[in-house]
Amino acid sequence: MGKLLKKIFLVDLFQGLRVTFRSQNPRSIVTEQYPAERPRIAERYRGAPRMNTNPETGESLCIGCNLCALACPESLIVMTSERNEKTKRKELATYTFDLSRCMFCGLCEDACPTDALELTQDFELATYTREGQIWDRKMLEEGPRPTRYKW
Amino acid sequence: MADEQRPPDSESQPPKAPEDTAKPVSPKPAVPKAAPPPKPPAIMAAVLWESELARDVKEQFGDRLLAASTYLGQNFLLVKPEAAVPVVEYLKVEADFDYLVDITAVDWPKRAERFDLVYIVYSFARNERVRVKTSIADGFRPATTTGVHLTANWLEREVFDMFGIEFAGHPDLRRILLPEDWQGYPLRKDYPILQQDQRWVQENLGIESGQ
Amino acid sequence: MPDATFLDSTELVLNMGPQHPSTHGVLRVILKLDGERVLGTDCVIGYLHRGVEKIAENRTYAQFNPYVDRMDYVAAVSNGLGYCLAVEKLLNTEAPARAQVVRVILTELNRIASHLLWLGTHALDIGAITPVFYCFREREEALHIFEQYCGARLTTHAFRIGGLQYETYDGFERDVQAFCDMFLAKVDEYEELLTNNRIWVGRLQNVGVLSADECKEYGVTGPVLRAAGVKWDLRKAQPYSGYEKYQFDIPTRQNGDTYDRYIVRMQEMRQSVRILRQAVGNLHEGPIMAKVPKVMKPPVGEAYVSIEAPKGELGYYIVSDGSVQPYRVRVRPPSFVNLQALDRMVRGALIADVVAVIGTLDIVLGEVDR
Repeated sequence: MGKLLKKIFLVDLFQGLRVTFRSQNPRSIVTEQYPAERPRIAERYRGAPRMNTNPETGESLCIGCNLCALACPESLIVMTSERNEKTKRKELATYTFDLSRCMFCGLCEDACPTDALELTQDFELATYTREGQIWDRKMLEEGPRPTRYKW
Repeated sequence: MADEQRPPDSESQPPKAPEDTAKPVSPKPAVPKAAPPPKPPAIMAAVLWESELARDVKEQFGDRLLAASTYLGQNFLLVKPEAAVPVVEYLKVEADFDYLVDITAVDWPKRAERFDLVYIVYSFARNERVRVKTSIADGFRPATTTGVHLTANWLEREVFDMFGIEFAGHPDLRRILLPEDWQGYPLRKDYPILQQDQRWVQENLGIESGQ
Repeated sequence: MPDATFLDSTELVLNMGPQHPSTHGVLRVILKLDGERVLGTDCVIGYLHRGVEKIAENRTYAQFNPYVDRMDYVAAVSNGLGYCLAVEKLLNTEAPARAQVVRVILTELNRIASHLLWLGTHALDIGAITPVFYCFREREEALHIFEQYCGARLTTHAFRIGGLQYETYDGFERDVQAFCDMFLAKVDEYEELLTNNRIWVGRLQNVGVLSADECKEYGVTGPVLRAAGVKWDLRKAQPYSGYEKYQFDIPTRQNGDTYDRYIVRMQEMRQSVRILRQAVGNLHEGPIMAKVPKVMKPPVGEAYVSIEAPKGELGYYIVSDGSVQPYRVRVRPPSFVNLQALDRMVRGALIADVVAVIGTLDIVLGEVDR
């Protein structure tokens, strides 16, 4: 008799659905809707490099000491500096960072005495060409420009 | 590419010299170069290892044991090439060193005995680790240790693969990590880091170069 | 009389890999079979050879540090610990107390993560699909702590020679504590699924038996050795990084078969939690970096330092010639040495057992080939 009632009132079905709906609690959903929604990235994440500038003057914080280039295990950083005749200080002239072989070990960031070079939380680094992986100073300071695609 | 800036360490350079001026020798020190720091001793500051075991080995092998030393609390026995396997066997049978941790080699191209062959053995009973070192010339065929420790099989194959040291009596001396028909022994010091067996790469991978 | 055809021959040579899913990477095993019995094997390795030891000779001591993460990439923290300890030994220095505790915490978390990956994939090889999802769920928690701590999940580069680069983040202790509280119940959950499962037991018991003497003969270390009844763990035998301060047991079993190795690894995860709990309580304020020169030039000499990695004894033999670059770095990889025992373990077994034995050896091909 009980069996029949169970069948009529779909007890098994509701029991199963209870398990299903238990996982619908928004707090227990772990799937990230990645492109639509930014994923949670750790604060110390080592991603795309960035060259910091002084927010007030817009000058580069880099003092052209070349320590990052020396620290890099893959020698990906190539920089030149020149002496500013007015201030008698070394200033950064050109700077390229080859991301194609970077393993994001963070040694360049650790070596920087002025916190000019920083590995950021940006992780979307794909490009269509190998050359696109070589970042120059402008790109490092302003960040990469994401390409907009029309569908 | 990054590595191209690094000149290969050729034999013309002494192994102690930093191979690349772009290396962080020091970040442009303010101190003038006139006062170079005193050179660290060019040889290992090892001291005599005094223990019962060292005495036993000395007694057993006489002048075939060249030195029993200790450095940083780690003991090693320097032996003549032909005594290396007997010493490892002696340590296993008489002193309970029943675990062969590793066999490896070090290349010193400037030396007459070009290679250091290093056997690391460990004893579970004594909780002690000993290195047995011997210096051999290029082309010398040291005896295999496979008769003493089975694990020597692959370890010796790797030494052969990387250094070209042939072990006499090894049951299966083939290359292990590199392809069998590869030319050259990569961990020798005269093998630059960018070198590859171009012919092998072209024939087997169908590309011009692996770089 | 016609020549013998393939029907008459009793031996069949079968190629397994390098892309076989159960070889966990690029391992090729050439099997010689008599029907379903394995007569012998020949491992072909080296597909992932990157010449790590050669790279080391062309980098400075600090620069080589990120490369060691790429050998055993599921236990990158352990690799880094071994390398840092070896160079510290050459420099005759030691990491400060706080750094050592953080190192222990991260290494034990990594041991758990490595064992979880092993359990998931091993179960998957045997045919149990559920554990892999469970294991990866918990492994994610451990990796999340890594990411919070040092910014990377897998190739962490967490330690530096002489100590740590990063101070722990706010809530580090809380996260590790929460992981410990959560994790033991999860181990019970895995065990509920597998330990008494008839198929699991049937597939694992008396498969790939390796006795204690054979283990020593083949140089096999880690859980494989302990499952054969040898109570030996480098963390106890030759403590490093302050392991002597922690209370934990070395789980052992007697039979040395695949099932025992499973049990040993499960026990090890529980012991790791025990260590983690003590270590978190032991975390005091203090410096995290010893005084090491920016440009490291260890005095001429050599040192061999080994640690108990999740797979077994991981050793670094470093020869210094007094320059900024190591003259020679030799890595004693546990996976490479353990894999050598595969032939002994599967000889006479059924072909299906080969999959189980490769799984139970817990090899990582990045470390085998370096």
